[in-house]
Amino acid sequence: MASSLVSPSPTSSFIRNKKDLGFSAFPCSSQIAIQKCKKQVSKKIVSVMAPQQSERKPATTGSVKTGMTMTEKILARASEKPQLSPGDNVWVNVDILMTHDVCGPGSIGIFKKEFGENAKVWDREKVVIIPDHYIFTSDERANRNVDILRDFCMEQNIKYFYDIKDLGNFKANPDYKGVCHVALAQEGHCRPGEVLLGTDSHTCTAGAFGQFATGIGNTDAGFVLGTGKLLLKVPPTLRFVMDGEMPPYLLAKDLILQIIGEISVAGATYKSMEFVGTTVESLNMEERMTLCNMVVEAGGKNGVVPADSTTFKYLEDKTSLSYEPVYSDAHASFLSEYRFDISKLEPLVAKPHSPDNRALARECKDVKIDRVYIGSCTGGKTEDFLAAAKVFVASGKKVKVPTFLVPATQKVWLDLYTLSVPGSGGRTCSQIFEEAGCDTPASPSCGACLGGPKDTYARMNEPKVCVSTTNRNFPGRMGHKEGQIYLASPYTAAASALTGYVTDPREFLQ
Amino acid sequence: MAASLSHASYSATFISSASKVTVSQPSRFSPSFKASTFSPLTVKPLNSTFTPHARRAVTTIMRATSTPSSIPSDTSTKTFHGLCYVVGDNIDTDQIIPAEYLTLVPSNPAEYEKLGSYALIGLPSSYAMRFIEPNESKTKYSIVIGGANFGCGSSREHAPVALGAAGAKAVVAESYARIFFRNSVATGEVYPLESEVRICEECRTGDVENRDDSISVKVKCRVCIRGALYSCFMNLYQVCSS
Repeated sequence: MASSLVSPSPTSSFIRNKKDLGFSAFPCSSQIAIQKCKKQVSKKIVSVMAPQQSERKPATTGSVKTGMTMTEKILARASEKPQLSPGDNVWVNVDILMTHDVCGPGSIGIFKKEFGENAKVWDREKVVIIPDHYIFTSDERANRNVDILRDFCMEQNIKYFYDIKDLGNFKANPDYKGVCHVALAQEGHCRPGEVLLGTDSHTCTAGAFGQFATGIGNTDAGFVLGTGKLLLKVPPTLRFVMDGEMPPYLLAKDLILQIIGEISVAGATYKSMEFVGTTVESLNMEERMTLCNMVVEAGGKNGVVPADSTTFKYLEDKTSLSYEPVYSDAHASFLSEYRFDISKLEPLVAKPHSPDNRALARECKDVKIDRVYIGSCTGGKTEDFLAAAKVFVASGKKVKVPTFLVPATQKVWLDLYTLSVPGSGGRTCSQIFEEAGCDTPASPSCGACLGGPKDTYARMNEPKVCVSTTNRNFPGRMGHKEGQIYLASPYTAAASALTGYVTDPREFLQ
Repeated sequence: MAASLSHASYSATFISSASKVTVSQPSRFSPSFKASTFSPLTVKPLNSTFTPHARRAVTTIMRATSTPSSIPSDTSTKTFHGLCYVVGDNIDTDQIIPAEYLTLVPSNPAEYEKLGSYALIGLPSSYAMRFIEPNESKTKYSIVIGGANFGCGSSREHAPVALGAAGAKAVVAESYARIFFRNSVATGEVYPLESEVRICEECRTGDVENRDDSISVKVKCRVCIRGALYSCFMNLYQVCSS
């Protein structure tokens, strides 16, 4: 705490590097620079000699507070500290811990080994267990892993376990949801200002709700199961300001591909990514989720979008728990700021084999493709399918390559069959997809996004070229090591399906 | 080979063309519910121009993050030798352990071993020399040399576990993705060391045995211990770098 003196607060946020980007980029500041930067921002003023009459009694001044970013504030509250700076290591109270069928059994194993066979989880209502990765498969170990989850949930009386028993008919499982990150949002587990940890790298998706959400491994999760706390290092924040009206051919996927292409797959390592601006404010919740989902592809620790009326409206019918949003202070310190003029952006792809291998979709129009995959937490939500349907409606033609559709959750699947697509004369997504010659929407799960057991629907078992709405395209990601995956928005994926080549959606959407 | 530690200091030596394959395991300490702090270990080349016959060891003492209740440990040197397997930049978790093998549960001893047998099997075929020979389940390489952003991608703890179960002892990479680094430390399966130069460009996997421009690196670090805050949890607990 500072001694008895005043500190002036600057009215504008202090930013290390301001970058205005059309298309150019600058390298990010180094770790050492942060230290220097912090010293510059220090607002401590020490009085050397003060005349008697100007001396202030300590009680009349408050403590000097440095502005904090959203992420710093969330972690400060969760660690019950008044003030935090990047680099601080703090014990954080966890509001929600999520795990699934791939990492759950391992986490449970560690929990039991370390805390005891008969230990109980710290809070049976804060652990959410969501089988979603390897569900509709005959792989015995995969099926056994769901059984392990069930046994644990029964023993611990876990309140939120989205179980599945009948693998032949997903609809026969009333509790089953599907992809964990979408289910967490749809079931109201994502709340502004909270800390959500999950045994999956795309846990950062929940940052769309203005909370701190990040992925952890089995050992950390085992620890959280027992204590409800985790030791975390406070990350510095990169700020991404996106202003302007979203063009009709762009989606949040294009925005995040733009960013990752800008800063590279390690550009945000150990950092928080904050997304602000009028464009971000215009995005609906699912689009914001797409934005935060791929933060990890830039190495980011977490992503955040400030909560607003869109957030509150989404949560209205989903949770009755109270929450308290936090917002970055006006004078908070950001490591870097990137500004984008959205009107200048064009539809993008990430070419094989890296999410930062950015290219304009129109420059890849000679790339012949073998298949299109629309699904996953990144691109398998209701809004993603509505977007794809829009392109098919605009075209009126049939797809030229196998087009796989994997809704993320049961709710999404239902939406495909019930919601009518604007401008289609009252048709549903499923009807439009059928008329366009796409595959029938599959059982909701993570599906082939990460390959999975050999019998996974739409898994790439031969070297093929695929345009996908998923999040990673490293070698072997969807199954075959020589497979070529072009990451793209649902618009671009649908457009590519119609031509059989990587295609800019403006071919159909202008 | 989960190394449970209450306190230790480590140094790592690797020789790119070592003909010896014996690997001595670092000491194990009995679990005593301690969490420890340490910074990433830095590996410096003996000679920055990598000339042959470098003899003098350069040691780097890492600063340990001090905490109010930290008790400095005594500094001792641990060494292990082994063959190194060299990979490039951005080796993601799908290459370290492809998703189809994630049905194996690491906390199950038999499946732990099986995970090890698949370590780095996802590397493209451009890697002519494989980390584990066909029909083998352990690797002969105890040190993996990587480039930037090693371990990027998924949060799957199966990745460092597979490397450790296969017999790797350490990874020396230019930089790490955070979740992989954190998982490596939390499990103790492989020591994640950082190199200040791109050693991955100086070394080659499976160098010819009598090559004499070998490179040796030595690193020393001190690890501080915090008092136990929460009982029932052990394993080296990483503080500074996640």
